[in-house]
Amino acid sequence: MKKIALLLLFAGLALAGCSKSPDTSAPGAKKLTVALLPKSKGNAYFISCRIGAEKAAADLGVDLIFDGPTDTDPAKQNEIVDNWTNLGVDVIAAACENKEGISTALRKAQAKGIKVITYDADAQADARSFFVNQATPDGIGNALMDEAARLCDKSGEYAIITATLTAANQNEWKKYIDERNASFPDMKLVAFRPCDDDKDKAQAEATALLSTYPNLKLIMSICSPGVPGAAEAVKQAGKAGKVKVMGLGLPNENKRYVHEGVTDSVILWNTQDLGNLTVQAAVALVKGTLKPGDTSFTAGKLGTFAIKGDNILLGKPFIFNKGNIDQFDF
Amino acid sequence: MSSAPASHRWRAALFRHETLLLALLATEWCYFNAVGAHFGTLDNTYDIVRHSVEFGLLALVMTPVILTGGIDLSVGSLLGLSAILFGKLWRDAGLSPAAAAACTLGIGALGGGLNATLITELRLPPLIVTLGTYSLFRGLAEAITHGSDTFTNFPPSFLFLGQERWLGLPAQAPIFIVVALGVWLLVHRMTFGRCFRTIGFSPEGARYAGIPVKRRVGLVYVLAGTVSALAAIIYTARLGQARADAGTGYELYAITAVVLGGTSIFGGVGSVHGTLLGIAAIAVLDNGLVHARQPREAAGVLTGVLLLIALTGSVAPKLWAARRRRPAASPPPPASAVSPPLATPPT
Repeated sequence: MKKIALLLLFAGLALAGCSKSPDTSAPGAKKLTVALLPKSKGNAYFISCRIGAEKAAADLGVDLIFDGPTDTDPAKQNEIVDNWTNLGVDVIAAACENKEGISTALRKAQAKGIKVITYDADAQADARSFFVNQATPDGIGNALMDEAARLCDKSGEYAIITATLTAANQNEWKKYIDERNASFPDMKLVAFRPCDDDKDKAQAEATALLSTYPNLKLIMSICSPGVPGAAEAVKQAGKAGKVKVMGLGLPNENKRYVHEGVTDSVILWNTQDLGNLTVQAAVALVKGTLKPGDTSFTAGKLGTFAIKGDNILLGKPFIFNKGNIDQFDF
Repeated sequence: MSSAPASHRWRAALFRHETLLLALLATEWCYFNAVGAHFGTLDNTYDIVRHSVEFGLLALVMTPVILTGGIDLSVGSLLGLSAILFGKLWRDAGLSPAAAAACTLGIGALGGGLNATLITELRLPPLIVTLGTYSLFRGLAEAITHGSDTFTNFPPSFLFLGQERWLGLPAQAPIFIVVALGVWLLVHRMTFGRCFRTIGFSPEGARYAGIPVKRRVGLVYVLAGTVSALAAIIYTARLGQARADAGTGYELYAITAVVLGGTSIFGGVGSVHGTLLGIAAIAVLDNGLVHARQPREAAGVLTGVLLLIALTGSVAPKLWAARRRRPAASPPPPASAVSPPLATPPT
């Protein structure tokens, strides 16, 4: 009898499924659907992007699907994009974990008339219409140097901690820091040291810098583990406040030092704005208000953004300090 | 049981694990078709196939492994290593994709051979051996690429295999069908392969019955390794990219599909067609949830629930029948209702 009950259960479920009319639950007949793909779903950085994206979606009255891989298999992003393509979303906005791999899936979506943009990490150029570029090398270089000069009142010795001496990104930023340094003749770079992207190594380097250069006024780290590393060194040397610490990094790993008054500024971009701008650009692309060849894009309350080629520039990096760092959780 | 009347046999067939699984699959399909407007389209059906061929291949060859009472945790990692070596052979050694693919299959066989040797010659438990090679293969893949080098820009003729249609079907589907048919014939129609279940049921008994246990067990691991490499080639063609982290976690999908398909994790009992249904049930669930606008995490939860329902559904009637019969004559429960003890390493 139990067997029959089980079978009936399955049959009932099947019938319940089949008898449902396909149209009643089809999501929002005319509402635009934006599908936002993070590199990984649980990453706090992308959760922060999502907050901005949801705000934009609510403002614009569009449906937002936010979904991404929960494990590290590189095929997962492709599968999600394939699914969205079949689902018939209006536009896909992707942060690409692997450029070449996902471009295949994005091109397939484009072939079916779905608009595609990328944000945070780009795909191949022919696989998307626009890339929402969160930071340009000159933007980062200038912001770092300007903030350093501001903290030192435009004069004094400073040192830079980098990832490795051969790191392409860091050397690109260093180039723009040097260029910008010309506008601050009294700011003197005394050392440029690698930390191998390691917090402990950065701490050791910073400790050495503090004893080698007694007049040092500021340590700038241009790789993220270097900021808390340098802060720990300055704190242990009892020089908090005397030697300023700043650099490129994530709010969470620096919060403690910022509140203790060791680290003054952490520079990155505003991830919520990144998510917001991405959704606004995606919707504008579908509506036709954003077209290839445009040189600027107005994103509602967020402001107007420059477009360079097919890159929508998020603009100046964002400076996290004591006043605002607690609003960000990543 | 063989002398049971026709109606009993009919009822037995109705309540076989595979029948229940088929009903479950039909339920899934109907449900997703009802809630997702685009679920039942040909394009989506083909995507389900494309996305599940690689782990499906692993599940197919995992079936004989588990039938012999073993397990192979290294298939996903071997997929990653094979993908990387395939990329190296093509890009750095300058081989044509076909030649590189042939060499990669050989490498897969060697990887499986390593498992086979350690398990049969040193009599180490398969779980521990393949846990070791699981780390070893993935580690090698990461070491070769320093975790960052990837292989791309494969010629379109090669990408065809993973992305285009051939005879109206996804190009990788015929390969899957051939492997499925091959493994099915091996396990169900050849005396050679039928002994896998005998070994899983009782390795000692199989040895006394004159079955060359070592060679047979070794073969299933070599087969698993070779097909892992085949899956790696298809995976690379589908993504257009070979990376060291390719196929992460696929071993668990494969094992889930096999067990969901009714194969006892202790060995001795199970079927290839059950595994095929298991693969389909997982693949449809994974895809359908997106169409039902459910988050991906739900797939993990529901796969687990599905597995537990399927296992309970197939065991409960037998246990119940055994319990009902006991008060009368209390014969031992039918062998198939109780899983044989954990297989000792074959000798």
